[in-house]
Amino acid sequence: MIAVEDLRKRYGKTQAVDGLSFTVEPGRVVGFLGPNGAGKTTTLRVLLGLVHANSGQATILGKKYSQLEHPFCQVGAVLEASGFHPGRKARNHLRVLARAGHAPEKRVDEVLAKVGLEEAANKRVGGYSLGMRQRLALASALLGDPGVLILDEPANGLDPEGIRWLRDFLRSLAAEGRSVLISSHVLAEVEQTVDEVVIINKGKLVAHSSMEELKRGVEERVRVLSPQTKQLEKKLAEAGFAVSADGNALLVTGASCAQVGELAAKSSLVLHELTPLAAQLEDVFLELTSREPK
Amino acid sequence: MIAALSSEWLKIRTTRTFFWLLTALFALITLIVVAGIATRHKQDISSARDQLDILGIGSLALFIALIMGLVISTGEFRHSTITPTLLATPSRTSVVIAKALAGSFFAVVLVGLAEALVTLELLIVLPAKGVDFALQGGPAARFIGWTLIAAALWGALGSGLGLVIRNQIGAVVACFAWLIIVENLIIAILRTHAIDSRAGRFLPDQATGAIMRTGGHNPDLLSHLGGAFTLGGWVALATFAALVLLSRRDVS
Repeated sequence: MIAVEDLRKRYGKTQAVDGLSFTVEPGRVVGFLGPNGAGKTTTLRVLLGLVHANSGQATILGKKYSQLEHPFCQVGAVLEASGFHPGRKARNHLRVLARAGHAPEKRVDEVLAKVGLEEAANKRVGGYSLGMRQRLALASALLGDPGVLILDEPANGLDPEGIRWLRDFLRSLAAEGRSVLISSHVLAEVEQTVDEVVIINKGKLVAHSSMEELKRGVEERVRVLSPQTKQLEKKLAEAGFAVSADGNALLVTGASCAQVGELAAKSSLVLHELTPLAAQLEDVFLELTSREPK
Repeated sequence: MIAALSSEWLKIRTTRTFFWLLTALFALITLIVVAGIATRHKQDISSARDQLDILGIGSLALFIALIMGLVISTGEFRHSTITPTLLATPSRTSVVIAKALAGSFFAVVLVGLAEALVTLELLIVLPAKGVDFALQGGPAARFIGWTLIAAALWGALGSGLGLVIRNQIGAVVACFAWLIIVENLIIAILRTHAIDSRAGRFLPDQATGAIMRTGGHNPDLLSHLGGAFTLGGWVALATFAALVLLSRRDVS
């Protein structure tokens, strides 16, 4: 379990973390969200013993990171994609960490294969793309086969293909039963992966809820295009859905794609487009993070 | 601690810095030794004392050992590898001590190889010039032994100072400015103002000179052992400062 209790950290005049408290239960995948400068990285660094808190506590499995028996094998972390010596080969980077962290050296090739870097294992990291460095950072975190993973903005700088790979990869980690705390400033990056979200702003907690709870506050919206717009609009309104125009198309609020599709089929109306709109969840996130924290 | 030390040693061996420094050092030593012997008269290189002076060229490796010690530590901040290092070894005391020991060990290997190279070159070049190799026995062995002790201390000093200064270029410039300018300036001030004309013996480079001294009694230098303890004191000071600063500072 990860527990943060009344955590405070000040850098000069800036209060980076301000009385933050939350817990992450074992086996959960939790998104740690907030805009840039919200205090996410500082909180994660305090959790990992890299930054000293002014007050409060941050523990993993009931202990401070440095007090864990084999921290590197119990907690894996990705904090930045730049923690590599450019002149060192990827395999050697992992060997160095495996030795220091008491992880078996045979894990090096296993994690390289897991993140898809086997063929580039003997290349110097200086020649790696940002995406390859992110993969190597994830491989470093997995070296000790930890049950808890703490990932700070792992999708930063990744291209769309890399983001898709990361999403699938995180899903596979969650399926293995690991607890994952993943920070991001973009909800869309993590919404398909996480079970719950902790949202902070200006160092304070603004929301801690499951994804279901968060989604419950969001009405579904569907964009639908039909050559029989007028008839479709009438049928949708009769069914009790709010309908508005969106160019040639209609925006239907409070309906799912299935509901709109079935209604159109029953009424023998032709559809040219039926698109679910997920943007509103992001709107909820933006609304929460734009509020002045209590 | 053993895991951290093993990891530090692997770090040194898995970048090209080590091999470039070694290659540059060996090329420089070879050039100086061969040119030195070639340009001197036979009578200037015949005695054991003359050849011991040439053997002293190998101690150039001390500077490389100091630089490597600095690189071992400052490289962590330059490339942000201090974060994964501290995640794998959360005990900052272990990291500081492992770096000091790795710096020492590397320095001993480096200086040992340099002295072996000079000895080999003497064995090859001296007969070609018609001079007998005269370094069998105690004085040469003692000199090499004391030089290795100085090397161990310089390697550790470099890694300690690197953790204190953190900026790689700044650390190298500061160390060489100290060795070339500052220490000599302090000695000159101490002598000019007659505060204590012999207090300069306790400065790091003078202490190193004492450890590696080959002549008889020199009132301006400490004894071999006195020099070793004095330089050891500087190493302890740098290591303690590194420990305090690394423990207190945030890694962000």
